[in-house]
Amino acid sequence: MNTIETHKLTRKFGNLVAVDNLTLSIPEGTVFGFLGPNGAGKTTTVRMLTALIAPTSGTANVIGHELGTDNRSIRRSVGILTETPGLYDRLSAEQNLIFFARLYDVPAQRAQEQAERYLRMLELWERRSDRVGGFSKGMRQKLAIARALLHEPRVIFLDEPTAGLDPEAARTVRDFIKELRSEGRTIFLTTHNLPEADELCDLIGVFRTQLLRVDTPVNLRTGLFGRGTQVRVVGNASGWASTARSLSFVRQVTSQDDSLLVTLDNPDEQNPQLVQALVTAGAQIRFVEPIAHSLEEVYLELIEDEPATSVQN
Amino acid sequence: MDKILVILQKEWIEIRQQRGLMLGVLLPPLLFTLIPLGIIYLSGSLVSNGSLSSPGKSFPGPAFAGMTTAEQGQAVLGSQFSIFYVLLPVIITSIIASYSIVGEKTSKTLEPLLATPVRTWELLLSKCLAALIPGLMVTWASGTLFVIGTAAFAISGRVFSAIVSPGWLVVFLLWTPLLGTVAIAAMLAISSRVNDPRSAQQLSVWIIVPFFAMFFGELAGLQVLGLGFTLSVVVLLLVLAVLSIWGASRLFQREVILTRWK
Repeated sequence: MNTIETHKLTRKFGNLVAVDNLTLSIPEGTVFGFLGPNGAGKTTTVRMLTALIAPTSGTANVIGHELGTDNRSIRRSVGILTETPGLYDRLSAEQNLIFFARLYDVPAQRAQEQAERYLRMLELWERRSDRVGGFSKGMRQKLAIARALLHEPRVIFLDEPTAGLDPEAARTVRDFIKELRSEGRTIFLTTHNLPEADELCDLIGVFRTQLLRVDTPVNLRTGLFGRGTQVRVVGNASGWASTARSLSFVRQVTSQDDSLLVTLDNPDEQNPQLVQALVTAGAQIRFVEPIAHSLEEVYLELIEDEPATSVQN
Repeated sequence: MDKILVILQKEWIEIRQQRGLMLGVLLPPLLFTLIPLGIIYLSGSLVSNGSLSSPGKSFPGPAFAGMTTAEQGQAVLGSQFSIFYVLLPVIITSIIASYSIVGEKTSKTLEPLLATPVRTWELLLSKCLAALIPGLMVTWASGTLFVIGTAAFAISGRVFSAIVSPGWLVVFLLWTPLLGTVAIAAMLAISSRVNDPRSAQQLSVWIIVPFFAMFFGELAGLQVLGLGFTLSVVVLLLVLAVLSIWGASRLFQREVILTRWK
């Protein structure tokens, strides 16, 4: 079952197209990484999907609620971590959480319990009575994440959850996201941190006004670059490149010092034939290992191929 | 209704924790009450001067007809100060509303707030009530003190009746909530364009100018703030309040706030 479904969702600000014909399906329990450069329309998309602004055209369904006709139900059913934490500095951490819980229709007693639960979970319980104005950036971010969860939403939108956090706080937040995933919640994660997206996401959408590609991280890598094998030999590898190229299933070969970098469609089946051909030709092989393309390489490849088509308001 | 109370509670916790704001809310009514009462008391103590018991001719207005010079002096002073109660609800509600609305904007809490299932009208009403209720409480409390003090220090019943006239009571009881409402609506409109509570306050106080003109008109004998006239202005203010709240509600929509408020 898909938790979020959009069909040709479009948002214009005057003549500027911020989101152009976004068609997307996100299954329940998925961590979806929404990647794109600044001004790509990511925040506008999140605002539409959380029923904060209306689309110019197209449709969307969030947890069974139609955008535009059932906006309050959407807002009641989703949690959101906005770009900035947006907390009341003069209220204590606990007062902030209870206030928002009550606005999400959580009864008073339950609001108190939920505030305690998440303050403890995010290691803020000892500071519950302190004014938020005195909190560090990491503490504020954790508190804002807690706020997004008080009403136990099945879908959570997290906009740059670890931006500007120190490594320890970022790790806590990432672990917390993994915990949410293990509870079967759907997470719509907007981030510029590509290693983080790689670590957390089941599905990734690369977006720049339009959705350029959506797939699992593994498929994104292999789809764009194929799968690679690095063969390290004794001596300079350039002499063996022609042997590798002569094999019909090899897509591309480059050599670098003692390494041959070979792109294959199916390394699991083709690596033995490759190794056998090289050994037969006289190469002495020291290591054979997979080449891992990073998500960053995939992202840059996709974004650089696609010029910006519009500017977000 | 539940959400309105939740927001009101939050607003008042925040107000209580801002010393500058509390000073701005409590100091003007205190000064506007104690200083006039002191002056009314002092002017009353000059009655022993015999030359002041002759019929007064300085003020042509019907409100002061038949009074001695001393009575006229005290009545005019009291009337001059009583107009401050028109200013108070505008000042106080503007101060609170500016912090309440511009404050949400500068602390970037509007988006998370709008992301909750709270209805826009609930949020708008909460913001209005959060400013209007304390504004009126303070205005009416200080005004009641002013009436009690005037009753105690007025040198005659005629002076008291001239200061605390039926027209002034209409102004005090009916104009003040409506003026406060208009001030809040103006503050909402201004808040969509400014990022500093003080700028918003300075701009909103201008709405008081026409109402001050009415009082000075009475002192000059040009205009009588009688019951009929003040009740007519109530109708006008009611229309103005409804229109201004309608206009403010157009600006106070999720989409407008998120995409156009700068």
